Amino acid sequence: MAEVEQFIRDMGAKIHAKIEKKRRLYFNVSNDDIQEIAEYLFKKMGCRLSTATAMEMYHGIEILYHFSLDKTGQYFCPRVVIKDKKNPKVNSIASIIEGAVWIEREMFDLWGIEFIGHPRMEELLTINHPGTVKHPLRFKEAA
Amino acid sequence: MKANKIPIGPFHPLLEEAEYFELTVDGETVVDIDMEIGWMHRGHEYISEMKTFTQSIYLVERICGICSTSHPIACVHAIEDIDNIEIPVRARYIRTLVGELERIHSHLLWLGLAGHFIGYDTLWMWAWKYREPVLEMFEIISGNRNHYGMMRVGGVAQDLDSAKVVELYKHLDMIEKKMVMISKAAKDDPVLKSRLKGVGVLSHEDAIAYCTVGPTSRASGVPGDVRLDEPTDAYDLVDFNRIVLQNGDVYDKLVVRVLETFESIKIVRQCLDKLTTVTGPVLNNVKEISPGEGIGRYEAPRGEVFHYIRSDGTNRPIRHKVRAPSYVNIPSFKASCKGIPIADALITLASVDPCYCCTERSLKIIDKNHDPCSFDLLKASREKTERIRREINAD
Repeated sequence: MAEVEQFIRDMGAKIHAKIEKKRRLYFNVSNDDIQEIAEYLFKKMGCRLSTATAMEMYHGIEILYHFSLDKTGQYFCPRVVIKDKKNPKVNSIASIIEGAVWIEREMFDLWGIEFIGHPRMEELLTINHPGTVKHPLRFKEAA
Repeated sequence: MKANKIPIGPFHPLLEEAEYFELTVDGETVVDIDMEIGWMHRGHEYISEMKTFTQSIYLVERICGICSTSHPIACVHAIEDIDNIEIPVRARYIRTLVGELERIHSHLLWLGLAGHFIGYDTLWMWAWKYREPVLEMFEIISGNRNHYGMMRVGGVAQDLDSAKVVELYKHLDMIEKKMVMISKAAKDDPVLKSRLKGVGVLSHEDAIAYCTVGPTSRASGVPGDVRLDEPTDAYDLVDFNRIVLQNGDVYDKLVVRVLETFESIKIVRQCLDKLTTVTGPVLNNVKEISPGEGIGRYEAPRGEVFHYIRSDGTNRPIRHKVRAPSYVNIPSFKASCKGIPIADALITLASVDPCYCCTERSLKIIDKNHDPCSFDLLKASREKTERIRREINAD
């Protein structure tokens, strides 16, 4: 697909561990590059940020962004891996994409990932919870 | 001028779903809006990781009571995306048939609510009356009026015999006739047009910035429609049009939904035609899911439903992400509600179809001294409609 080839040509140096499937492109990017990648996908290519998925894996916390190029049905999925599980921090893309504000707040709420530069880094889903809930989707360490 | 805050929600005996909006008003004008969600958070994503793939399909069917087949379709698409699983042609038509019937009943439900909010109770009663035969069609297809349990990885759970298809044609013919009547009442009525035109405008730029989906974005000139952008199931085998309008106001959102209902009727008819001729199995036997990750999406009545599933090769997902369309549409209130009169706030909030009803009855204004005073948003909305009706009748 021409758009995918163009994207890889322009951003190739920043793309690692690429997996290509039919209408899907998964790849790793560093935390330093995620804002530039997001800006390219959103502003230059006209992608829509569909959502982002946080996952806690053995090697760290992954954030997988899902950008949809609606005119072709192609999904671009940059993945940022945070090694520091105790104090996960990643650069926010909310200043580039207004629609990322809630998405990043939810990941902060449920996974404890702090997004540097987010305009309102506070809970989204558990904000009015009557009990004490802190990052409920993180693995709990054995006592 | 004293700035007041108007809290709407989150809980009230008449509230179908819990949502909380805080409007900041300066006189009669809304100057800011804040939203809180999480009152309905049930942890579906976490529960799904403890279920098998097949059980997860039933679980996500219960996320929403209105679009209860959109989540299962997106879920099976995500699982099928991991292994590029093909599904039989007959199953593709059945999936599309069920999905489009759901769009018809959901749009009729919204149309009724919109009518109710602005004082058009006749429209409300008509729309809901003729939504009923759609639910009967679901009963014929699946045995259930809601939560149909039709989706499976590799196809659908039940086939349709020819006797059922004949019954479905009868219902569809009747719905189509009544939709013509409802459509005239909704989009050609001069009072309704004056009441909704230019109200709660979401600009093309804001629709893109907030990453909105579905009729909310298509009414603002953003053409995204998963059924045409990434056609799955039978969407590449049927003929239908993409409905896109430009003004971004509540009236255009209404017209998009009305026109889409006709397109859905067209798709349903084509699926029924094909189900009388296309034969074969409706389910491929899928024994295991490989390790990997898959994205599934479907154009629900409110917009794109997104599911991401990651598998480690066992019989259950290690991560299941779900994103419903209202999640990205609701933040756009920040753009569409600013500067509108308070009498238009209710219909603007309802225009993205966020599944709340009767919210206005839990409303009270709290001034800076925290003194509550009564204010009925529904009453204000209906009074404005009545004022416009009198003006038009006087001309």
